[in-house]
Amino acid sequence: MGKVRFAVIGLGKMGLLHASLLNTFKDVQLVALCDKSALMTRFCRSMFSSTEKVVVNDLDKFSELELDAVYVTTPISSHAFIVKDLYAKGIVRNIFTEKTLASNYAQAKEMCEIAKKIGGKTMVGYMKRFSVVFGKAKELLAQEELGEPYSFNAYAYSSDFLGLTKDSKSSISRGGALRDIGCHILDLALWLLGDLKVNDIVSSHEVGDAETSVSFTAANSNGLEGRFDISQHMPNYRMPEFGCLIKCPHGEIDVNDDRLLLTLKEGCQQIWYRHDLKDNVSYFLGEAEYYRENLEFVNSLLENRMCEPNFETASKVDYIIDQVEKRIDKRE
Amino acid sequence: MNDQFGKLLLVGDNPFQGISHLSQERARSRSETIISPADKAADVILASLKNGADGFSFSVSELTLSILQTLRERKSIDQVSLYPMVPYAFEYVRVATQIGTPGLVKRFAKQVTLSGDVKAVLEGLWSVARMNPEGFIKTYLAYELSRVKSSAGKRVKVVSVLLNEVIADMGLALDFDWLFRSFTRYLSKKGITPGFNTRNFPYLVRKFDEWGIELDETLIVTPFNKAGFQMNPSKEQCEVTLANLSCPVVLAISVLAAGYYKPSMAVDYLASLNNLKGLIVGVSNERQASETFRLFRGSP
Repeated sequence: MGKVRFAVIGLGKMGLLHASLLNTFKDVQLVALCDKSALMTRFCRSMFSSTEKVVVNDLDKFSELELDAVYVTTPISSHAFIVKDLYAKGIVRNIFTEKTLASNYAQAKEMCEIAKKIGGKTMVGYMKRFSVVFGKAKELLAQEELGEPYSFNAYAYSSDFLGLTKDSKSSISRGGALRDIGCHILDLALWLLGDLKVNDIVSSHEVGDAETSVSFTAANSNGLEGRFDISQHMPNYRMPEFGCLIKCPHGEIDVNDDRLLLTLKEGCQQIWYRHDLKDNVSYFLGEAEYYRENLEFVNSLLENRMCEPNFETASKVDYIIDQVEKRIDKRE
Repeated sequence: MNDQFGKLLLVGDNPFQGISHLSQERARSRSETIISPADKAADVILASLKNGADGFSFSVSELTLSILQTLRERKSIDQVSLYPMVPYAFEYVRVATQIGTPGLVKRFAKQVTLSGDVKAVLEGLWSVARMNPEGFIKTYLAYELSRVKSSAGKRVKVVSVLLNEVIADMGLALDFDWLFRSFTRYLSKKGITPGFNTRNFPYLVRKFDEWGIELDETLIVTPFNKAGFQMNPSKEQCEVTLANLSCPVVLAISVLAAGYYKPSMAVDYLASLNNLKGLIVGVSNERQASETFRLFRGSP
């Protein structure tokens, strides 16, 4: 296989991040970029004028470019429409979509069905799975020496909307706390612990039409029970942070973005920071996990294999978010 | 180290900004203990200078500008050589998160207009009309320099302006040679050394070589530490690239691997890197400033 031909739709910060990383892969050719904003398109044409990349503001122009894969990094509300359009027009079979897959589970399910029919590779941008610390947690749980987890406490916190009361539009445009940051910890929990069912809403706080914090409990059929705390207005969270305390019969794992603390029942402890877990990548931008995530998608195309988290896997997050939102509505 | 280092030592601003690359828990506990950030930071900077630091490296933010203002009010600003880094990406991303990218652009345009730098405003308008990214770079740099000078005073010593790693690494990856050329050209004309912060040091050196950009007249700011933390693609490749440079242009950061090592543990490793120009290290209080810079200077 020659170079894989990619395009990116949406030239916000995530679009530029993925475009940048893809451009460093030797097996990838970043062919085109697309943004619906005429101003952004003009500006980007000027920025990319010394390269051979095509910058367009109309998706139809992708048809002539013989693309192998497209990244969709537009706002969440547009994912389903763009993905369906790409498939319907036969522009591409392989699609990476930024998280969350869709605005609701019905859309996500429809996207999964179409993707299955088309038969290409899909991926959703839950990059926390590619963090070395969360990877270490997965490895420890897979070893089964700790025993089957029986409880967890998971959180996703940021200070993004701390003190904001009326500027609710921005939270809505990011999909609310659940879709903006909560989705990452939901995906991590599903990845680490397996399927979960939503139980009760503990609390929720909304600004305008979007929730900026929500706490709820969840469980599985094996007796695992736990709680999620998600908030965009926690003080002193300069960067969004994700973490989980997982209790097992023979010890517990306390993991967040920076480190993993393992405590065994007999009391001995071991801590791993990113530094201890070979966090280096061929090209670093934002976080090392972005590079690994892109590498996984590119390799799945080169090696003609499925990759994770694909549309089907990621739709489980949309399902849980729908369940939580329904329970919040019922509560009100 | 016995000042074989004899090298440039700068005090960094991460502890003042509440940043810890080791853990956010650590950064949170640190920020909760700072009572008066600008005053306390000014004390720490002056203690660093007294104990061997040569200057202050910082991201241009409201907080660091208030620190400069405090140093100016204390009539100490003349002692400090400045190495500002732009843009303070965190702040721009935060604002974009809250009010969206169009809102950020509007707010930025308003700030440039209100900065009173007529030349920058006109250049900015001209760049918009012509869709000229190089013009934006000039306007932006003029704006950031005017912010620094309005806080620190017009006669302040700005030795180098450093391009933030997110922008530098994005520009490198996207082959935006024009970004590096226009950044270098604008600052060199003003007698300021252009600097580039990167997490991809060997890649940057390779690209600059390919583009014919002379490294000798620049500063490169990049992680060097015993753990290899944030040294990409690998510690070994960063060390080899450093050793092969024709002259020392690299300022090491993350030298303590973000607090993973004590300064005493980092000294030997850094001393073994002969081609370093110097380093930037953050300190949280006056005692730490004294211990750290005396240690790096090899003072008893």
